[in-house]
Amino acid sequence: MAYAIPAAIAGRFLLSFTSIYDSLKYDHLLTSPLTSYPRLQEGVFLYKHGIDPYSGGGFYHSPLLLSLFSTVLPQYSPIPQLLWASCDIISAYSLAQIWRLRSKDETGRRDGRIAGSYLLNPYLFLPSLALSTSSLENALFLTAIVFACRGKTVPSLFTLALLSHLSLPSVLFLPPFVMLLHVSPTSALASATKESTLRLGSSIKSFFIFAICMSFASVCNLITTGGWDWVYRTWGTGLLLPDLSPNTGLWWYFFTEMFDHFRPYFLMVFSVHLLIYVAPVCMKFKHDPLFAIFILQGLLAIFKPYPTLSDPGLFLSMISVFPEIFPYLRHPIVTALLHLHASLLLPLFHSLWLAQGTGNANFFYASTLVFGMANGAAVTDCMWAGLRVAFGQKDGVEYVQE
Amino acid sequence: MKLLAFCFGLFAVVRAHDEEFREHLHLRHLDDGRVSALFSFTTLLKDTAPRSPLSIGEDDIPQHYTLFPLALGQVLREHAVTEVHLTLNAGKWDYTRWGYPEDPAVATGAELWAWMGESPSISIDERWKGLRNSLAGLFCASLGSLDEMRTTSPMYSFRPEGSLPLFNQTHKLRHALLPSEHVCTENLTPFVKLLPCKTSTGIASLLNPHRLFDADWHGMGVHVKWDPKTGISVQLNFQTVLDPVRHSSRGQRVDFSLKTLFDREIPKACPVAADSVIDVFMAEGEYNIVAPGPSIMEGELAKFIVPELPMPLDIAVRWPGEASNLFMNVLQYSNHAPASKQNSHPTNIEVLRTLTGATQSYGKLHVEVKNNLDSDVDVIYVETMPWLVQFYIHTLKLSVDGKERQDLLKHFSYKPSEAHGRPMLFEGVLTVPAKSTVRLTLDVLKSFLRYTEHQPDAQRGWDLPPAVFIPITNNNSSEGRILRRLYTPAVLVDLATPDFSMPYNVIIMSSTLIALIFGSVFNLLTRKFVALPVEGPSESEPSTGTK
Repeated sequence: MAYAIPAAIAGRFLLSFTSIYDSLKYDHLLTSPLTSYPRLQEGVFLYKHGIDPYSGGGFYHSPLLLSLFSTVLPQYSPIPQLLWASCDIISAYSLAQIWRLRSKDETGRRDGRIAGSYLLNPYLFLPSLALSTSSLENALFLTAIVFACRGKTVPSLFTLALLSHLSLPSVLFLPPFVMLLHVSPTSALASATKESTLRLGSSIKSFFIFAICMSFASVCNLITTGGWDWVYRTWGTGLLLPDLSPNTGLWWYFFTEMFDHFRPYFLMVFSVHLLIYVAPVCMKFKHDPLFAIFILQGLLAIFKPYPTLSDPGLFLSMISVFPEIFPYLRHPIVTALLHLHASLLLPLFHSLWLAQGTGNANFFYASTLVFGMANGAAVTDCMWAGLRVAFGQKDGVEYVQE
Repeated sequence: MKLLAFCFGLFAVVRAHDEEFREHLHLRHLDDGRVSALFSFTTLLKDTAPRSPLSIGEDDIPQHYTLFPLALGQVLREHAVTEVHLTLNAGKWDYTRWGYPEDPAVATGAELWAWMGESPSISIDERWKGLRNSLAGLFCASLGSLDEMRTTSPMYSFRPEGSLPLFNQTHKLRHALLPSEHVCTENLTPFVKLLPCKTSTGIASLLNPHRLFDADWHGMGVHVKWDPKTGISVQLNFQTVLDPVRHSSRGQRVDFSLKTLFDREIPKACPVAADSVIDVFMAEGEYNIVAPGPSIMEGELAKFIVPELPMPLDIAVRWPGEASNLFMNVLQYSNHAPASKQNSHPTNIEVLRTLTGATQSYGKLHVEVKNNLDSDVDVIYVETMPWLVQFYIHTLKLSVDGKERQDLLKHFSYKPSEAHGRPMLFEGVLTVPAKSTVRLTLDVLKSFLRYTEHQPDAQRGWDLPPAVFIPITNNNSSEGRILRRLYTPAVLVDLATPDFSMPYNVIIMSSTLIALIFGSVFNLLTRKFVALPVEGPSESEPSTGTK
């Protein structure tokens, strides 16, 4: 076990030097239009040739990534591959840190297992090998949580602002992050009645800091691109869904098949639907905001407009930080089998539809429904277990919801 | 004599109105035994200028024409168009066998481009819309589909062929290609209506739709341009490549005559034509021109001045040496002639474009440009692509003989496409070294369309517009090289299709899954936990023991 993690890290770096990226770069499961690396390269290329990448085309990445890759980072292989591998290591390290902060366990006995759950999760390392920027988003997300767990308001909210710039739905994490900044990250699921230490004044201050961070990044973007077109191209894309490339989510086929006159209405419904979960989840898990972040991440992974496999993958890896819920999961086997089923069907039906031409779009659509079902089962089961922990095990008593 | 006097009288009337009509038929024997025919009808409105776009909104001057097509004139003046080119072609012009066409506009399908001056009252885009809809009505073609999703404004290519007047306003270009539009007999009828003699007399009487639309390649063109010295000219062209072997009545022969090609003769000359000439261009070989003899012989060009010849007029060309071995000769002409002429290339620049890739999500575009000349040639490579296919310009690779030569692309302008909107425009200046082939590869991404955006025959795929190659002629090296614009054939792209029968099912099933997860989540969040005493197994077992 002691050598497993160094071996995984070494293996991850070694994979950077293979040409595996070339065979994965256009894969719809691993990269979405918002996270695809070839599109980022195209944007950087246009930017370097004096053409505004936000004037059209399929470039939907944030100007933050544009300025990063057009100035600091060279794009020659294997530099990006190594960067992505480093992001994976940072994410795994952050996940282990989150566990240490939550469990107050400084011995690091479970660090290997926690990091392994990130590094060896195929939903996470395959998008990373395809250089999907969702791996960068995951690294930012986990780093922001580490900062928040340590109570470092500005670094945490700044990281979250950067994350929101890369992926707009992440802005919904702000309320639980503000709560986490003021509440201990230790598990409070078993003592749900713990008094909240959240204060209104400091919360408003946190929101204000976040707004400043967002504005700061926006002004940087404005200076980089010389206009506000990027708002429409990056955040607008998630709301208006101009690109209907298939992915593992629920939006693309729904809006491919949508009647034109209902499209704006349903786009509004799908976007508003994401907002609905924030307040109830934060209220129910106000004693343990880290768990609220975890649940919200799982829900966003199902319902966000352009998900990749790494979104539900992150949720699954984060389960390892909450071992106290394991005894109370109701149907882990069913969830696991659904995931197995979906992960076999998705690539198979994708290839049957688009490459072999022997299946049609419904095949792949059906497998995304199975995948959505699997993710839904995982989230609801974790939620149940997270609530159920509070009551503990007692002989002769069963806890049900009335 | 009386007829001549009458004709002269008419000419006098024509001159009084400062209008002139010329008709011209150019016949060319091609290397593979086919015959290319270009009908060209030019009407000149002398000493007039195009309408100034500044006067849009005011009452226009009254239009009265004798020869000039009024229907077209009204369209041009209504939208204040300075120069317009419309071509409707069917088939693929085979440059390797047929050489350069007489009318270079041989893009498959419809091509429309216009130069218009800016107007303060009505924008160019609005007038462009009006122009294409008017021309669609005039020529019974689906030019209305040349909408914003097809329209581009090239910067370096499609320069005006005539002159642009100074209206104190800049002129702008609008260009659109629609490869899936096909020319047919319903387009010819309105075309013929614009001619002063219709098809009753003169060269236009050879426009027999049964033969023209049966040809291996056929297309019609309208070119309106302005020259400050002469005036506005409208050139109506019909270009076709006919196979005389197929229509030969006396066995399989490459001999041809007007009668065998068009199944018509010229009954009499068009009286209002200032000029009515048939050219027969014979490249090489032993041939006879049988009755009547040409009026003028200029090298390889035999000129027939129609009014001077006896009517009804038929011109026949024969290859007497061919008589002994008829069928073999035909085969030789059709199949072996180009092979035997491998050293002499019909065109100086050869282009080839293909789209490869088995999946419906991405592909690779391959373009080959071959220079047969002994000197380097700069070529403008113009690619207009609807958003159906998106280019990854950063993957553009140029190579000559397997060696990478990124330096050959001197500079380029690129306007990216917009999803569900405007097309992409790429114009690059490419240097093609002497006697070599430049290979260009590019990754492309195939778009996914909404189900309402697909064509009725969605599984057929989409025709992508041809790429255009325009060699840049530098005046210094005038060594008699012919450099004209070339079109690649249209490319068919296979885009992924959704299931067209399922909109309701998808809405229902996706909504069910969302409702299920939403319901479960809120069920867990809102309901209270209660403790239930579990009955001991010892009490419940007896009652279910039989199971």
